[in-house]
Amino acid sequence: MSATDFRQTVEDGDRTVLVWDWGVRVFHWSLVLCVGVCACTGFLAAPNWLNFHLAAGIAIAALVVFRLVWGWTGSEYARFSSSAVKASALRQHFSDIVRGRRIRHLGHNQAGALMFYALLAVLILLIISGVMALGGAVKQGPLAFALSFAAGRTAREIHELLLFGLLALIAAHWAGVAFESWRLRENLVRAMFTGRKSDGAASSQPPASARPAEAATIVLGIAAIAVPGVIALSQVPAKGVPTEPLHSAYLKECGDCHFAYPPSLAAIATWKAVMDGLADHFGENASLDPARAASIRDWLTANASERWDARAANMLRRVNAADPQRITATPGWTRVHEDIPDSVFKSKAVGAKGACKACHRDAETARFDPQGIAIPKEAQP
Amino acid sequence: MKTTLIAFVCLLGTAPLAAEAEPAHTPILEKYAIEAKAADPSFSGFSGERGKSLFFSEPATGKPDTPSCTSCHTKNPKEPGRTRAGKEIGPMALSVKSDRYNDSQETEKWFGRNCDSVLGRPCTPIEKGDFITFMASQ
Repeated sequence: MSATDFRQTVEDGDRTVLVWDWGVRVFHWSLVLCVGVCACTGFLAAPNWLNFHLAAGIAIAALVVFRLVWGWTGSEYARFSSSAVKASALRQHFSDIVRGRRIRHLGHNQAGALMFYALLAVLILLIISGVMALGGAVKQGPLAFALSFAAGRTAREIHELLLFGLLALIAAHWAGVAFESWRLRENLVRAMFTGRKSDGAASSQPPASARPAEAATIVLGIAAIAVPGVIALSQVPAKGVPTEPLHSAYLKECGDCHFAYPPSLAAIATWKAVMDGLADHFGENASLDPARAASIRDWLTANASERWDARAANMLRRVNAADPQRITATPGWTRVHEDIPDSVFKSKAVGAKGACKACHRDAETARFDPQGIAIPKEAQP
Repeated sequence: MKTTLIAFVCLLGTAPLAAEAEPAHTPILEKYAIEAKAADPSFSGFSGERGKSLFFSEPATGKPDTPSCTSCHTKNPKEPGRTRAGKEIGPMALSVKSDRYNDSQETEKWFGRNCDSVLGRPCTPIEKGDFITFMASQ
């Protein structure tokens, strides 16, 4: 046990001791930043900010892995062993508070330790549900090959509920810190910056010191397996996402006048209604040679949204009975575009609601990834 | 052998001249001329002027969203137009888009659709020939 890990300095006439080592402090404040970015991009930002949300989420996953390792390899108060929660000790802690007994703790008190584990658990569940939502509902990431859209949507709802849980825990955490700081006349927030607390309650036992080399080895070992694994799994084709090229006659005959909507964007009923009504196609005559029309009709109905599980296919599958031919009249389309003013669609850069490609860079692939959305500058209100 | 070669080289030299002499839209015009003559024996040739007035007219007898050719093709045949679905249409003027009116099937398809959309009836062979004559002069 080296003396440097148990330095005692004189500060404001008070002796202080290092409680929160650099690992704990860097973890804590990086986590604050990343959770902030995740919450803001998840709740407030437009969908094309998804990459920021993912980057912050990945950072949280890395931080949690580090913290779990640091729970074994960090210095005394970073360790799980010094934050063990016992029901009897927890009861004792609250009874001390109620009876006005001011007992100081250098590391986590019993309530603080419980909060520490609860936060870690919720963060781990948030990471898992986030990766599941990304895989199923956005068809991206390491689980895209395995999860259905429905499973992804459920995971997304759980992810959202967990965030409310996390926000509640954070609020309780602040309340606990504020209460203990007041009760024990000790600035606990400052202690998380400086790492130091006055040593009035220091035990006579010299505290355990950190083993950073061991921590680095374990973290790098986990990364060496997890990073290539996640990258490899993310390359596996997503479940139910069409990849075949468009029928050449369809591309020519339909794509001459409008964006050649991939067939997965509309239901069988829509394609049948469209192909049977070409003589009055949205107010224009778009009739085709019957043999060519039949071949296009067969291909469209065989590849309609019912066959696929992609995000857009799921969202646009329900037909608007009052306007069954129009993809932009489906309840799904209307819902996700409701915040976009009409002036954007009428602008020269876009032209019409059906000009998907004007704003969705990957519209031709039928993926409609959130990251591919960019409303042209000239069209913005 | 030598003379054949010289003759061949001479032929090669005249090939571009021959192409210039007969623009790619000529066969279509000839076909419409035969049809026009059959329908009206007094037919005496296409007129770019008539084609121009057809293009700029506003018959509004077809479908309500397309009262005129210019609804989508704009009033300047050298400029690209735009479909109601927001997609660009290549310019109609032959000087700007040289591959226009060289494919009979394609040309017939568009006359078939758009005459119905704008006029509410099929175009006559004279109207088609006039239209192409006007666009060839642009």
